[in-house]
Amino acid sequence: MSVTTTPTGSVEITIDGQALRVPAGTTVFDAARMQGISIPTLCHLQNETPVGVCRLCVVDTGARVLAASCVRPVEPGLKVVTNSEKVVATRKTLLELMMSDHPSPCARQRNSGDCELETLAAAAGVREPRYARRSVSRGHDDSSLSIAVDHDSCILCDRCIRGCDEVRNNFVLGRMGKGYAADIAFDLNSPMGDSTCISCGECMVSCPTGALTNKSVAGTAIAIGPGAEGFEAEDLLTIPVFHGVSGTFLELNRGAIVKRRFHKGELICKEGDFGSTAFFILEGKARVSISSPIAHVKTQGGAQGFFKRLTSTLAPRESDKREEEARDRTIPIDASVDLSYENPVAELGTGDLFGEMTCMTFYPRSATVRAESEVVAYEMLRNVLDIMLKNKTFRAQVDQNYRKRALENHLRGVPMFADLSTDFIEHLKESVELVRFAPGQVIARQGDAADSFYLVRIGFVKISENYPGGELVLAYLSRGDYFGEIGLLGGGARTATCTALDHVEVVRVSGEDFRQMVERFPNVRRGLEAVAEERRSANALRMQMVHSVPIDQFLSQGLMEAQSLLVLDLQNCTRCDACVNACADAHDGITRLVRDGLRFDHYLVATSCRQCRDPLCMVGCPVGSIRRRNSLEVIIEDWCIGCGLCARNCPYGNINLHPFEVMSDDPEHAGRQKATIKQKATSCDLCTHLKEPSCVYACPHDAAHRVDPRKFFAEILAQGALK
Amino acid sequence: MLLNHSQRGWALASLAIFLTSLVLYVLYAWSDPRGGSAIGLLFGVMGFGFMIFAAALGARKRVPTWRIGRAKSWMRGHLWLGLLALPLILFHGGFHFGGTLTQILMWLLIVTVASGVYGALLQNSIPKKMTADIPLETIYDEISHVRGLLREEADRAIESLCGNLGTVKDSAEEVQRAGGFTALRPIAASAVPLRTSAAVSAGASAAVAPAPEILLLGETESAPLRRFYLEEMRPFLEQPKSRGRRLADEARATSVFAGLRTLLPAAVHNTLGDLEEICDEARQLLRQERLHRWLHGWLLLHIPLSLALILLGAVHAVMALRY
Repeated sequence: MSVTTTPTGSVEITIDGQALRVPAGTTVFDAARMQGISIPTLCHLQNETPVGVCRLCVVDTGARVLAASCVRPVEPGLKVVTNSEKVVATRKTLLELMMSDHPSPCARQRNSGDCELETLAAAAGVREPRYARRSVSRGHDDSSLSIAVDHDSCILCDRCIRGCDEVRNNFVLGRMGKGYAADIAFDLNSPMGDSTCISCGECMVSCPTGALTNKSVAGTAIAIGPGAEGFEAEDLLTIPVFHGVSGTFLELNRGAIVKRRFHKGELICKEGDFGSTAFFILEGKARVSISSPIAHVKTQGGAQGFFKRLTSTLAPRESDKREEEARDRTIPIDASVDLSYENPVAELGTGDLFGEMTCMTFYPRSATVRAESEVVAYEMLRNVLDIMLKNKTFRAQVDQNYRKRALENHLRGVPMFADLSTDFIEHLKESVELVRFAPGQVIARQGDAADSFYLVRIGFVKISENYPGGELVLAYLSRGDYFGEIGLLGGGARTATCTALDHVEVVRVSGEDFRQMVERFPNVRRGLEAVAEERRSANALRMQMVHSVPIDQFLSQGLMEAQSLLVLDLQNCTRCDACVNACADAHDGITRLVRDGLRFDHYLVATSCRQCRDPLCMVGCPVGSIRRRNSLEVIIEDWCIGCGLCARNCPYGNINLHPFEVMSDDPEHAGRQKATIKQKATSCDLCTHLKEPSCVYACPHDAAHRVDPRKFFAEILAQGALK
Repeated sequence: MLLNHSQRGWALASLAIFLTSLVLYVLYAWSDPRGGSAIGLLFGVMGFGFMIFAAALGARKRVPTWRIGRAKSWMRGHLWLGLLALPLILFHGGFHFGGTLTQILMWLLIVTVASGVYGALLQNSIPKKMTADIPLETIYDEISHVRGLLREEADRAIESLCGNLGTVKDSAEEVQRAGGFTALRPIAASAVPLRTSAAVSAGASAAVAPAPEILLLGETESAPLRRFYLEEMRPFLEQPKSRGRRLADEARATSVFAGLRTLLPAAVHNTLGDLEEICDEARQLLRQERLHRWLHGWLLLHIPLSLALILLGAVHAVMALRY
């Protein structure tokens, strides 16, 4: 065909025998599209610069080799064939090669059936690729709350990279590695959740396969009831924190945020309830409080007389001070304020975010929040909260609020910081860093140089020490707890590894500020030194116990670390359950003992608290009321709200909830009270108020024994009785 | 309660009482031994007193927290004094069974003591047998629940190979078979990731069995397994007590699974191993139920007879002393 360049800069070409005139510079791909001819492609998107990496859009231009139509500009007189046998065969080979390096079905194909690669492969008749599949997985990255990354499904088309760089100008995504080891990477190959990614979602909506997919959070829509307004994606884009977020991504998260109005006195959330949302107050004031009695369970009676009935009552710390009870004056909750032990009530106002832990990690609500005036708030699920927290302005606002309103209380909540002068607190307010850690991220590693002191603001931090053959969990720290002082005071290295167990935020006090503080305030130094010494001794004791354990098996079961175990000799036991009944009788009908558990030869270690090496019961307590004594026994502090998470988490079923009837304000009738049932977590107390535990005393067959495990099992081993 | 050296004190004391009573009876038997004589009455009062003490064990068990002596001391007293009651009452009656009421009382006493001895022997042997034979023993009342969990686990294992069975699942997917760990609660969604921590204690890890791997077989390939499961294994897990079940017998079950292994590809042999273990656990539970019934069944005879004995003994005492 003869071709002439027109004065307007257009060229005439032929595609599949159809003549057409297109502006000069147009790519063959676009020209074909204009003519209604579809050319398959994977790496090309209309709003991104074409790069021609997938080669799937190859066409025959009559040249020696086939050309990628997305990057091939038209030339005058160009004759293009898009569907010759050679072209189709080449595409099929390319699809086969890509399919051999792509799990089928990928996440996207499984969820919505629209993986572009698999759709094209199916259309081309590619079923099982002839080529060998990759033998080693390229890995998954699950660190982002909103987007799942499956490197195995990635075909390295770079659409995500161009979306991030060209469309959103975020410049987070790039390539790493070469050849067969090439991958997409966030920042300098950080996990997506730890990178500077702002969760705008552009990469995900650009991805042709299941390599970047939207994470479906349990219950991705919040129920819209009276007083709640939903948002459409377009509405969300008008909210400042969502500027710059992909509309498609917001569309996928539609229903994950609602605006709610609460009338004065209306309940916003209730302590102990499981939830999945956080609240951000736009207007109004709310009252946050704990309605559970601030007391622990105490069992009394029996020891004084033959027939005196045992009763379990609630005893506050004033009337029953227990050994190693916390000295805390504040109760940590899931909001920007802490509550005082004496009067657990506080106020939240405009700009306050609460329920972050519940939203991020599905922990139970830590306190009851009621509207004090008309309150307008956003209620959101964690994918939306994550997007909001990635917004620098919003983040700065929340952090500023925290520094202004809660940091002082938080710092002063640490008993030895109570004496810090106001000017130093003001200095700390400005100088401390608020740092976030993703689940599993190491905050400080044993042996590293100590350079900071940390105060836990949100989440749980696992403190562990390595020893030959394993890891010993020394403690789980929650909001209000602190760590890092031992290394700083000792002037040397970290003595333990501190790992974020979930979404953790810490207040980081630099080593320099810490040194100034201990120099200026000798009382603080003395207090910290005393705590450090206490922790060192307790840790040394635990390590000593671990090293002295003779049998791996017992160690792994946490048995040898126990102070006292209930052991049933199964050769004597007639399974009459007298022990269980006695335990129930001793604790108001609530047994703390289940006649089941681990077996060693003919001994059954019945289910009662065994002070595990890794005390999972302590993880997730929304108010941090369960912890270890130095003896490793569990102590449940007075401010337990009875949510039951510890009971669920305990792998051995050793924690139970004990219900009590208490009088509390009736929200429906002001000034009146009504009886409500409040629960308190309890674990086996070894019947410490009695000379002998009830379970042992009541066993008619001499089968139940309370024993010191090390002594007991050592004797049995010495006798060779344990096989 | 084991009849071992721990019983020595009670055994010697009982023997001493018995021998003293025997000597007294031998001396007294030369005259005409009668229940109404002073010595006869002494034997009667002692024998009835021992019976009452033995019967009081039941009441003692109802107030386990009362500090009125350890339950094991009460049990020892129950065993030895209850046993002693028989010769003392025989001495009381001079080995004559007397009228209708006393005859009934004598036979009641003999059967009660005999059932008690039988029970004591069972309680000495069955716990040992149960401990040895049933490593996956669970709480008796939980057996039906555990069976349900086993069935669901087996369903899941089969579905991972043969596709959907269309069965109804009763419990949460997270609940996995846990050996003897039946007291475990369903795992909270929030707790699941924590359990993957390397530091989790081995007990907890063992209690949470991994979900079966998905490896779907073709329809023809899976047909023998599906048929075996639906026609044989599932009915066994649902109603293990029905007669004629091949899987209720360990040896036959082993041969059934060996046969299945020859019909199915090697890739599914691990799952077959799991199914075999499930059947083994179900058999253990069946055996536990049987042994449990033996262990406690005799009480259905012993307790009512004891109560009748005390009641009629009191009637006899009142009538004898009054008339």
